[in-house]
Amino acid sequence: MNAHRESSLSAENDKSPVKNSKIKVVVAGQPNVGKSSLLNAIGDARLHTGNFSGVTVDTKVVDIKKDGYDISLVDLPGIYSLNAYTPEEQVSKNYLIQEEYDIIINIVDANTLSRNLIFTLQLLDMHKKMILVINMIDEIEAKGGSVDKDKLEMLLGIPVVLSSAKEHKGIDEIVDTIIEVYKHPKEKNKIYYSERIELRIEKLISILKKSPHFKDPDFARFVAIRLLDRDENIYKMIHDLPVWIEVHDILEKMYKKLEAEFDEESTTDILSNERAALSHNLQMEALKIPEIQESLSEKIDNILIHPVLGLPIFLFFMWGLFQLTFELGNIPMNWIDWFFSNSANYISEILPKGEFNSLLTEGVIPAIGAVVMFLPNILILFLGINLLEQTGYMARAAYLMDGFLKKFGLQGKAFVPLVSGFGCTVPAYMAARTLKNPKDRIITMLVLGFMSCGARLPIYVLVIAAFFANHNPGNVLFAIYIGGAVLGLIVAKILRVVLFKGEPEPFVMEIPPYRFPSMKSLFMDLWIKTKMFLKKAGTFIAVAAMIVWFLSTYPHHPKTEQIFEKKIELATNKKSKESLKNELNAKLLEDSYLGTIGKTINPIFKPLGFDWRMTVSVIAGLAAKEVVVSTMGTLYAVGGGLENNGLIQKMKENVDFKAAVALIIIIMIYSPCLAAMSTFYAEIPQWAWRIFYTVYPNIVAWIIAYLAYKILSLMGY
Amino acid sequence: MKKVSQMNIDDCAIVRKITAKEPIRGRLTAMGIVKGAKIKVLKHTLAKQTWDILAGNTKVGLREEEAENIIVESEK
Repeated sequence: MNAHRESSLSAENDKSPVKNSKIKVVVAGQPNVGKSSLLNAIGDARLHTGNFSGVTVDTKVVDIKKDGYDISLVDLPGIYSLNAYTPEEQVSKNYLIQEEYDIIINIVDANTLSRNLIFTLQLLDMHKKMILVINMIDEIEAKGGSVDKDKLEMLLGIPVVLSSAKEHKGIDEIVDTIIEVYKHPKEKNKIYYSERIELRIEKLISILKKSPHFKDPDFARFVAIRLLDRDENIYKMIHDLPVWIEVHDILEKMYKKLEAEFDEESTTDILSNERAALSHNLQMEALKIPEIQESLSEKIDNILIHPVLGLPIFLFFMWGLFQLTFELGNIPMNWIDWFFSNSANYISEILPKGEFNSLLTEGVIPAIGAVVMFLPNILILFLGINLLEQTGYMARAAYLMDGFLKKFGLQGKAFVPLVSGFGCTVPAYMAARTLKNPKDRIITMLVLGFMSCGARLPIYVLVIAAFFANHNPGNVLFAIYIGGAVLGLIVAKILRVVLFKGEPEPFVMEIPPYRFPSMKSLFMDLWIKTKMFLKKAGTFIAVAAMIVWFLSTYPHHPKTEQIFEKKIELATNKKSKESLKNELNAKLLEDSYLGTIGKTINPIFKPLGFDWRMTVSVIAGLAAKEVVVSTMGTLYAVGGGLENNGLIQKMKENVDFKAAVALIIIIMIYSPCLAAMSTFYAEIPQWAWRIFYTVYPNIVAWIIAYLAYKILSLMGY
Repeated sequence: MKKVSQMNIDDCAIVRKITAKEPIRGRLTAMGIVKGAKIKVLKHTLAKQTWDILAGNTKVGLREEEAENIIVESEK
């Protein structure tokens, strides 16, 4: 409410232009209207990001200066209607209703004007200072159509700007209009509902006015309309006020009467119909467009979402994206790895030996390296996903895959994160952001870990080489990957049935026309995601990696070290020196906190046939799957690496076939690495989900591994 | 009167009634699928599980379940 007072005050003072007046503008619009592209087009924009509390929704704020005014534009997440449904929409709605600001800019798509205007009408109910920006006007003009701006201004009572982000049209006008609107008092409301509804609105206002909270007549009118619209948020807002009792009584009667008068099930429908009819008429008055022929979009769709060809084409695109992400991404990954390990070596040499040196070169630097290493993958995958989203293909992909994934309680769009999971779970969790429905998103993220990531491959290769020597290794590997995926789908179905039983899951999705992506907003978005990843996951991963370093380094055993150093000095040939060194490392790791923990919890893994070395390796794998093989190498005192046939030999000697199968199952199912877990925590703020996510895969893994072990032993292995 | 799920590709019709419950109902409204709106079936998948509907100038993807809850009257 203060926003109102502030803006009217400044309107009075406008005769003497105040230097550096601040104008706060919120930019609201339905999804796919080109909001971000338009904001990016506003000249000299300084873009920075914020985060709404509790939800992982990125907001962008654009700051500009003009004529002594500091204008900041807050870009709200896309919202279809004030009857909000997704969490993103809820964020936008809360902001629009509760926050203080001077002006609303409502951006609409000229191509779908009448549908967009329904939301505009809801915004007009708020009766704040508002500007309507009709974007993508170039597309209408290209078809030989036009929008009558003056007529719309007259009918709606607010300024209208015709714009095109692509052709940089109307951009300056938007800024000028902001200043104009800011300087002048707001105009009278021109939007009225039909008489029977207005009568009820008046009645409600007269009751609301009795409360000191609704002294502002504009606000009282807005609340009255929202009450008739059965807005849950507004109910909650006035529920605790004394005026509620009176409002509640009269509302119930009004609902019944109106519903009978209009022969509708709900007053929400009555208002929706009114707005739909009104916006349809507005479009008829203002928009001239020749009869639409088959558009280019439809021609492309005839191929891309062809009933038969659509699916293979989509799978081919996915395969391409996947190849790019993990083949191309691995090249800089190796450079980054090389850079960090060399810097660690270099620093370790120039710094004096000691605790600090060890912490820095064995703890901190590798931890940062581990975070930065994922960047190439994330960047490429996100560039791909952003391209899919911005061109409009993502909606088609969801359309194509939904029939299949629905059977497992998942949504069509879940396919992209699920497939990315085979490469690396970290970007896959972030890719799940394309799922706007929180339930779809949480289920997808909970089963993502079952898609075996690239880092688990060396473990599988090792175990296959040791225990499946007389099988085709490719077939075994394929079985492992498919097994994980099938299990993931089954678990998804179970989660949907158990956790979200009987809740309706709407799949009503706009399929936007194909568009060329705007390079600027493509890269801007990429930059924002990169920053978010480095900041959020980075802190989690760095801390976690240091804890692991501490556990595997302490406590020190100077005596053991001295004894071994003497032995190494005395050793004559290189080979025995090497094996003594391996033995020392094995001994140190065995006596470290990590080794102690491994031995302590070994009884848990005993039923799976694990010895304590396997237990420690699996526990170390929680830090990063890459270290499982090297830890085994150390513990079996043969040094790390696959090239070393010694490890395969040692495993054959120490581990039986049943335990090896159990090991594969554990690796397949149990918690992913720390980096992935940190990303999950960063994406999902609710502790209940975080705890569930941390616990359940390990239990599932153990149970299945145990069953496999038992069945194999019954079969006589 | 029939359901959208009973329509064929390229069929046009006028929406007469929406039997879906909230929140699906609200979603359909936001997409322009309201009483009196003219719609056209653009495509459906092979097994008719997912539908691509044109409402006004907006293409909307729907599941079979939603398509069953939109009652229309054919238009020649």
